Amino acid sequence: MTRISSKWLLLALVSICPCGLSIVTALNAQQGPASPAGIPRTADGKPDFTGTYQWPTYLPGDERGRSSATVFDRKRFAPLKPGGDTFLEPRTGDPRHDEPRDFCMPAGFPGGMLSANAMQFFQTKNHLVMVHEFQRMSRVIPLDGRAHRKGLEPMFYGDPVGRWEGDTLVIETVNFKRWGLDDYYYTNPKEYRMHSDAMRTIERLRWKSPTAMSYALTIDDPKVFTAPWTQEFEILAKPEWDKDGLFEYVCEENNRCPGGKCGAEK
Amino acid sequence: MKALLTALAMLMATAHVVVAHHSFAAEYDDQKPLKITGTLTKVDWMNPHIWYYVDVKNPDGTVTTWAISGGAPGQLMRRGITKDLLVVGSTVNVEGFKAKDGSNNGFGQRVTYQDGRNVFTATDPAGRAPQR
Repeated sequence: MTRISSKWLLLALVSICPCGLSIVTALNAQQGPASPAGIPRTADGKPDFTGTYQWPTYLPGDERGRSSATVFDRKRFAPLKPGGDTFLEPRTGDPRHDEPRDFCMPAGFPGGMLSANAMQFFQTKNHLVMVHEFQRMSRVIPLDGRAHRKGLEPMFYGDPVGRWEGDTLVIETVNFKRWGLDDYYYTNPKEYRMHSDAMRTIERLRWKSPTAMSYALTIDDPKVFTAPWTQEFEILAKPEWDKDGLFEYVCEENNRCPGGKCGAEK
Repeated sequence: MKALLTALAMLMATAHVVVAHHSFAAEYDDQKPLKITGTLTKVDWMNPHIWYYVDVKNPDGTVTTWAISGGAPGQLMRRGITKDLLVVGSTVNVEGFKAKDGSNNGFGQRVTYQDGRNVFTATDPAGRAPQR
């Protein structure tokens, strides 16, 4: 059914049935905000997210972290639930605990997604592939309606599936390993932010102009927070970065000083 | 030259900002500033961070080699800072921070040539050091 015929059908429904208006409202809520004119679209009419981008960055007014990566604004957090203070696990002084990335361990999601490097997205009818230059994080997100996989061990990047709500791509990711949430050290060098293995993330990606996407990231971690909470970021298209593409990032190549113990030069 | 001027402009705009990162915290001590002058002998333009090496002459005639870490190659190149801006054989001043372990390693925020040109080797224009 085309978009135009759907619109006429809904108008007809409103005119003949008082309940029609609430149905329209519910449908609009599910379809998300209307897209501005001129956004990229695929041949089948879906918003097209293929392209090269800056990492998700802050909206005006949000608290900024002090490292080069984007971090969550603490005022967005829902209250911690009893026992949820494991989220703010103290650092121990052991770099393998406090900063496993210093040993080339993965950043995980969503921390890796918020790292200050370029990203490249590739979209087909059935998949969105997000490649992030930092640690060459690759997320392959099915868009074909499949369910989450079963029986997997907890993962650094979780198990994502995507679906369309109108022009908004909604990506739900589950099955995480307990790991650092973001790059938080310089907001408070004495605390980690550790999400639990019950975390579920929901990303809502939509074009808000022909060159900028809204990226709303919901953290639903029932072992830690009393409710899900969301922070919206902005992802800017960077077509000027296409000529160089993503640069290689192999952490193990010359990681000379893991944990502060420097080895020999290459 | 254009890239060098770009790097210089970014440095001038943000030179007062000194902010480190988690990996920095594991490896370097922001209470131990490093300021050395010597000969740039080698550049390793490799991940996760570039390294460059500076021979510093001591008063007794011996030479100490300092190994200096900077940003990730990709992050630097996207800002127009390329390997050839670090000219081996040149005399340079390096400012940054010393390694925690007391070794002759450090994190370099800027390299200054004797004619005053700067190359900003940390990660981003705000002066922040790289992530791991």
